[in-house]
Amino acid sequence: MAIEMIMPKVDMDQETGTVVEWLKGNGQQVEEGETILVMETDKIAIDVEAPGTGILDGISANPGDVVPIGTVIAYILAEGEDLPKKPIESKEPVLEIPESSVPAEIEISATPVARNMAAVHGVNLAVVDSTGTGGKVTKADVQAVVSRAAKPVDPREIYATPAARRTARIEAVNMGLVRGSGPGSRIQVADVKGYLTSKTQADFAASPQIQAGEVIPLIGMRRTIAERLTASYQSIPHIQFTVRVDMTNFFKARNDYNELALKRGDDKVSVTAVLVKLVSMVLTDHPWVNSSLIDDKIILHKDINIGVAVALEKGLIVPVVKNADQKGISLIAFETNDLITRAREENLNSADVKDGTFTITNLGPFGVEQFNAIINPPEACILAVGSTTSEVVALPDGTIATRPIMRLTLSADHRIVDGAVAARFIGDLKTTLENPILMNY
Amino acid sequence: MREITYLEAVREAMTQEMERDSRVFLIGEDVGEYGGAFQVSYGMLEKFGPERILDTPITELGLTGAATGAALIGMRPIAEIMFMDFTTLASEQLVNQAAKLRFMFGGNATVPLVLRTPAGSGTGAAEHHSQSFENWFVHVPGLKVVMPTTPYDAKGLLIASIRDDNPVVFIEHKLLYKTKGDVPEELYEIPLGKADIKREGKDLTIIATSIMVQRSLQAAEELAKDGIDVEIVDPRTLRPLDTETIVNSVKKTGKVLIVHEAVKTGGFGGELAGVIAESEAFGYLDAPILRLAGREVPIPYNRNLELKAVPQVEDIIQKARELVNLRV
Repeated sequence: MAIEMIMPKVDMDQETGTVVEWLKGNGQQVEEGETILVMETDKIAIDVEAPGTGILDGISANPGDVVPIGTVIAYILAEGEDLPKKPIESKEPVLEIPESSVPAEIEISATPVARNMAAVHGVNLAVVDSTGTGGKVTKADVQAVVSRAAKPVDPREIYATPAARRTARIEAVNMGLVRGSGPGSRIQVADVKGYLTSKTQADFAASPQIQAGEVIPLIGMRRTIAERLTASYQSIPHIQFTVRVDMTNFFKARNDYNELALKRGDDKVSVTAVLVKLVSMVLTDHPWVNSSLIDDKIILHKDINIGVAVALEKGLIVPVVKNADQKGISLIAFETNDLITRAREENLNSADVKDGTFTITNLGPFGVEQFNAIINPPEACILAVGSTTSEVVALPDGTIATRPIMRLTLSADHRIVDGAVAARFIGDLKTTLENPILMNY
Repeated sequence: MREITYLEAVREAMTQEMERDSRVFLIGEDVGEYGGAFQVSYGMLEKFGPERILDTPITELGLTGAATGAALIGMRPIAEIMFMDFTTLASEQLVNQAAKLRFMFGGNATVPLVLRTPAGSGTGAAEHHSQSFENWFVHVPGLKVVMPTTPYDAKGLLIASIRDDNPVVFIEHKLLYKTKGDVPEELYEIPLGKADIKREGKDLTIIATSIMVQRSLQAAEELAKDGIDVEIVDPRTLRPLDTETIVNSVKKTGKVLIVHEAVKTGGFGGELAGVIAESEAFGYLDAPILRLAGREVPIPYNRNLELKAVPQVEDIIQKARELVNLRV
């Protein structure tokens, strides 16, 4: 190995040294420690020793040259050794710009729709890869260019934690679409992960193959519903039981109530109101169906508070009729009408939707005959009410008749409600609905 | 296992090492007849005699210089500085001599010196007897800096420090002297430069030193009641620092609270924050790195003000909550 001889540093504040005289020249034999160079700083002249034994070569600083300290100014070579190659100086890379091969736009073959779309989005048709017959540019071709051009937001303009950024980078999430939950709306790693969960649907909507309609962020009531239903469906083992109910007597009773209500000037009694009353009466005999599993404790509720699911434009809300078992039909009719009206007007207060112990959801008016509902935690059960249709039934005496039939499906939390317990409840409910008079027993 | 105090663990490490190795001796002010200002060396004069338990005049510079010289010629001195505050007087010998000699002699000289000293406030000893200067020495290449938290760590780290060929600043804490813990009777070493996870958790990493480890452990118990699961990393050795353990913990939790007693500005917390920010853990941070440290004042004599001047358990709980609940 060639030994490097450098411009030495001999003073505290020295930055350069000046070559005064070489005492040996290229090709001459030198001994380690032998003086071979005289140099000077701005203070003194000094003798410099050979750093090794061998042949001096490659002197690159001549007398009078001012050289920064540490610079290699010569080499000492072994017998037959060549000078080390100088590193090749790096040239500034020259960008070669090819001559434009883009033909004039007028010559491009494209469908009229593609041409329009390109004009709207300011796309040069010449840069669009064509896939149409005969090399025609199609609408899809232009669309592909347009969606590529939709630039992601500059990450430096986003307020996010390093962990959130890292996750976004790994998962290829456009952080401009993520809503931050940290202080000052800072995006946390949990926000990115939350966004990812809903990403599949968003991707689907944003896919260029499918015309994206409106994209709605999952916030507010919709988010609450999404989270609660997911939690319920994932954590609660649901079991379902369906019964067919002959509603002949139920409707008769309801008509009687309505006649009375009309006379007294009370609110009209809805099917829902009668259902709330009858369900609450039956629940008094079935405490496990009117219960909650909270933190390893099963709470059998004293109160029977019936929630009534109301569909709204932007979701669903469940106002609660409190202590329904203690109230008369007319009061329940008034309360349910009031709650449903205020729910539709978005005028419910938090007390109106609190403390439910059992929920009734009725999709009968939409023509749904039967369905399974997801439990509304921490309640143990929910009752899905289908439509009432005129059906042919066999009567006990063997004859055939048509009767109004309604299907009820109970979803129960199987962790605390056994199959038999649920079955007995829905059986009792069927009996009571078919013979409302039993209510007064 | 047998329980002894932190103070007894320090004494036992010195005693057992002196029995094992005749080159080890103790030098300091009032370490002999008086048994040490905190009675750490109580009874050692009777056991080892005045040649190995050396009482010196009141000159920290002199005794540290003497210890450095002794170390250079092959002895393994333990020098005690009565209060860390007085290491200012010893620092010329320590910083400009002991720390440099091995480098200046190209590795041909070693300075196996341990400088033991108690730091910290809480005893009502006011401005000149309550300070925590660890970071001054952390800043010096050539010194090792050790801050044990438990009696077990105190014994194992002191033995390792005595056996180390480099000058070690061994910082004890006055309030920890009376704390108890399991300590084996036999000799054992805890390697310098190895951190210890004092509590495992997943929500937040607290990196604490000395007495603040104990306070953080108490805080963690309270926080656990709210479902906040705290991991506590005790570096034990500040230099060399076990960055790996720290980085791994931060990668796990994404949130860091650094707690030390020394004044915040220029304190070791800044170094820790820098190490984390430079490391791969940066990309895992889900909140700013927070430091909870001593206020920018000399330690006051007034008891209430003294408590306010350095982090207490409630302060740690509050800061941890702020971090975990994303209020910062």
